Amino acid sequence: MKYESQKIAMNYFMIAAVLFGLQIVFGLITGAKYVWDFDPLINILPFNTSRAIHINLLVVWLLFGFMGGTYYIVPEEAQTEIYSKKLANFQLVLFALIGVTAIVGYLLGWTWGMPFLEQPTVLKFGIVIVALIFLFNIFMTMMKTKKWTVIQGVLLGGLVMLAGMFLFGIFFMKNLADQYFWWWWVIHLWVEGAWELVTGAIMAFMLMKLTGVDRELVEKWLYVEVGLVLFTGIVGTGHHYYWIGTPNYWLWWGGIFSAFEPLPILFMVIDTLRVVRERKTEIPNRVALSWAVGCAVMHFFGAGVWGFAHTLPQINQWTHGTQVTASHGHFAFFGAYAMLNLTMFYFAMPQLRGLTTFNQSLGVKSFWFMCSFMGLIALSLGIAGIVQAYFQRVLGMDYLTTQEYMKLWYAVFWVSAWGFAAGVVMFLMDFYRLARARS
Amino acid sequence: MTLSRAKAIFIWGTVISAAIFLYLSYDSLVQMPKRTQEEKLDSHVVAGKWVWQKYNCNDCHTILGIGGYYAPDVTKVMSTRDGEWVTRFLKDPEKVWPNARKMPNLHLQDQEVADVVAFLTWVNGINTNNWPPKPLVATAVTSGSPGETVYKAQGCSACHLLNGVGGKVGPDLSRVGGKRDKAWIEAQLKNPKSHNPNSIMPSFSRLSQKDIDDLADYLAGLR
Ligand code: HEC
Ligand code: HEC
Ligand code: HEM
Ligand SMILES: [Fe+2]
Repeated sequence: MKYESQKIAMNYFMIAAVLFGLQIVFGLITGAKYVWDFDPLINILPFNTSRAIHINLLVVWLLFGFMGGTYYIVPEEAQTEIYSKKLANFQLVLFALIGVTAIVGYLLGWTWGMPFLEQPTVLKFGIVIVALIFLFNIFMTMMKTKKWTVIQGVLLGGLVMLAGMFLFGIFFMKNLADQYFWWWWVIHLWVEGAWELVTGAIMAFMLMKLTGVDRELVEKWLYVEVGLVLFTGIVGTGHHYYWIGTPNYWLWWGGIFSAFEPLPILFMVIDTLRVVRERKTEIPNRVALSWAVGCAVMHFFGAGVWGFAHTLPQINQWTHGTQVTASHGHFAFFGAYAMLNLTMFYFAMPQLRGLTTFNQSLGVKSFWFMCSFMGLIALSLGIAGIVQAYFQRVLGMDYLTTQEYMKLWYAVFWVSAWGFAAGVVMFLMDFYRLARARS
Repeated sequence: MTLSRAKAIFIWGTVISAAIFLYLSYDSLVQMPKRTQEEKLDSHVVAGKWVWQKYNCNDCHTILGIGGYYAPDVTKVMSTRDGEWVTRFLKDPEKVWPNARKMPNLHLQDQEVADVVAFLTWVNGINTNNWPPKPLVATAVTSGSPGETVYKAQGCSACHLLNGVGGKVGPDLSRVGGKRDKAWIEAQLKNPKSHNPNSIMPSFSRLSQKDIDDLADYLAGLR
């Protein structure tokens, strides 16, 4: 750590970690409702509310992580302090307040009712203000020195795109098909566009610092990878336009372009393994290294392989709206974005605390717990989804009867989720210990 | 590869894909009013869409295949259920269609129920490129509804065909809800001779009113 204001990242990471823990609590509650039909919470915390909280916490903790990561990286890239520490802290408090209000609101039945975008409209405008303050602060920092590195440029581009796409999710449309048309501009163009830029830039920075390889090499590949992500991913949005009232040419455009989406993700794996092999320095931080390499691999399987599996319309017509999607959603969000954030926590935390060495055993253990149990979660939901697609869509069995045949796999899923939660507890303990450690 | 070539890949990749995407998006938005029957999208439907959002139905149910996977997809529910049934169901889900996995009673106002039914009816007309697809194999599997239990218990399949299973003395009932409403079916069950003086179908007037109700509900829902 070279600049005082990088410390801003710390509070962002702490909040992110707490929200991550909460996300898992709500995940376990939501999952239990699949395993047991009887729901004692049906009138207090029904499935829709617990799911809304589970997925909102996910998105919000990832955003806190991205913001913290940006505040950590930009000073080093721009070689100057953050433009305004006050704004950074204000922005954090405002975002946290909006988050708390949203969740309390959901519990009281205050909702906008579109998946992932359940936040009532006033809160959405609040989020836009947070985003504007954040972007302003980052932009002004970069303008102080105008040292435009590729990493910085891609990071800023990704963040601007991230904030910009959110605007398409704010307005109420009379036509449900239109509403979902724009909804995917947010959801898809986030996870298969903007967020890939942000994480690509952050990962490039960390790999460069961890391995000591040349900036030139890292930045060149960053360009190629995010270029291919956008080339395949933008038209690839069409894989969500097969069955929602949109014209049928999307079956071609969406199918073909999205089928190539795994390619840049594969390049990222190759690239990561190569820079680690060609490292110029020792890498004492094994936990960060595990998360970084693990992230590349899990990103590829969760997003690339699991995504490809149901992206062609010939397959998607059977799997659409089944647990196959849930399997992919869990695996991809964890592999690509949760793991990127965890890499960053372990990369930055020792430096923020001025530690040269730290005990790594619990960190490594939590890494293996989370990764292997996430594998089981993806597998069990995936099998549940295949059972569902086959019985319900191919054989024409009705929805509720089919659910009975999926019970076993819901149980496997839920038990695996407890294993995953154990990994999260280990991480939280380890992280708390690191946050308080003195050099 | 040089840095400038890498940059060119980035810029051109983005520009080309964005240009194609924007053009197709524009074209889609032009075509969608027709594909979604926007002429039928009246103020009730819009109000119903807001009811759908206000109660966050979408984090339990999928619609157009998107949303929570906890409850049946409702995109085409109005092809298999009639408005009257859905109205009664939404007012008291537990009573009208008791199942192990429950939909909570959301205590909707009468107007809200009417609006959301109008909304679902409109959604049913969206051209979804034939999604969900027709099952490859048509099977007679249970829905677990109480009416179906009565149907089995009373041995109606001795004379009637339902989803390919049963006898051929009486007409096929697989889609009977499409031409007969609930009241008509109830009359048929209580007194078949009211419709056909020479009917050979036995009267089921001895059944309890609840069983008759469930059975008629179930049959009226088959379309
Ligand atoms: C907590 C989850 C939950 C919420 C919220 C919910 N539902 Fe349901 N819904 C279910 C379940 C589970 C079923 C399956 C049948 C049952 O429970 O009896 C169902 C069944 C239905 C059905 C019958 C489907 C069929 O295939 O025949 C309709 C229609 C329906 N719901 C509409 C709605 C509407 C409209 C809303 C919002 C106002 C809503 N639901 C909110 C869980 C939910
Ligand atoms: C002994 C044979 C027999 C049995 C048992 C029987 N039905 Fe029927 N059912 C018929 C015949 C024959 C008709 C044709 C109309 C008529 O002649 O009444 C008919 C007509 C109907 C119709 C009207 C169909 C239409 O398309 O117009 C319904 C509904 C119906 N039956 C329901 C039932 C139910 C429910 C049961 C069991 C509780 C049942 N039936 C038992 C012989 C039977
Ligand atoms: C990179 C990170 C990715 C994340 C975080 C992610 C996440 C998700 C999520 C959460 C959904 C469900 C959305 C909903 O309906 O609520 C989804 C759907 C989908 N994803 Fe991804 N995804 C990623 C990458 C990919 C890639 C690379 C592909 C294709 C190659 C892909 C293919 C699909 C498809 C086809 C669906 C629609 C499933 C359906 O029919 O409902 N995804 N994704
Ligand atoms: Fe997508």
